[in-house]
Amino acid sequence: MKILAITACTAGIAHTYIAKEKLENAAKELGDDIKVETQGSIGVENEFTPEEIKEADVILISADIRVNKDRFKGKPVVDIPISMVMKSPKGVINKIHEKLGK
Amino acid sequence: MAVKEILDRQVIDLNMEATNKDEVIRHLAGLLKNAGYIDDLEGYIKDVYLRESEGITGIGGHVAIPHGKSAFVDKVGIAVGRTREMVEWESYDGEPSQLFFLFAVPADSDGAKDHLRLIAELAGKLGNDAIMSKLQTASSYENLVEAFS
Repeated sequence: MKILAITACTAGIAHTYIAKEKLENAAKELGDDIKVETQGSIGVENEFTPEEIKEADVILISADIRVNKDRFKGKPVVDIPISMVMKSPKGVINKIHEKLGK
Repeated sequence: MAVKEILDRQVIDLNMEATNKDEVIRHLAGLLKNAGYIDDLEGYIKDVYLRESEGITGIGGHVAIPHGKSAFVDKVGIAVGRTREMVEWESYDGEPSQLFFLFAVPADSDGAKDHLRLIAELAGKLGNDAIMSKLQTASSYENLVEAFS
């Protein structure tokens, strides 16, 4: 599965980047492709290209602040609080597999 | 990444006497004050508690990352502390904490992007299970640097 994920926390200092690492490791273990875009205090990093968005199976937004979803029209978007990734990154990805039936 | 650039001996105490959350925050904030990272101890502590009120900072694995984005921060930095005993701290895994990273970030951080990137990298490493397990036994500055390298 091709996952594009966005992480963003309230302060944009720590959780954003911890969640990125957790998602990347969990996806790797589960055999999924993932790219994580961080929206934190240093701005947007690792931004998705239009091609990547087109090819993605799912967009995972794990954020405690509002994230603009205009880019993802027509794509399946899963929106969760960042705490779910902090607690159980593999659980989050498994759940997405279940939901999309992939 | 140059971990040493962000891990400053002056603000690291791996043998803290603190026995509760407030003592941990105060002790580490005190180190930041003495080393010139923050200019107003009480003002900074208030901002750390503001962040604490917004969500859990115990990230599991007995590690907590309180942080303050504050107008009283002059210089981006991270104070690191380990207590002798576990300390009660709200966490994602319901466990108490023993290792603490207190982040100091200026409210207006436009001029501090390079340093912010360093602490973002360090934070990211806390999401890595292998690094987290090395940190459990880190008891010296050298161990800390080694765990993050």
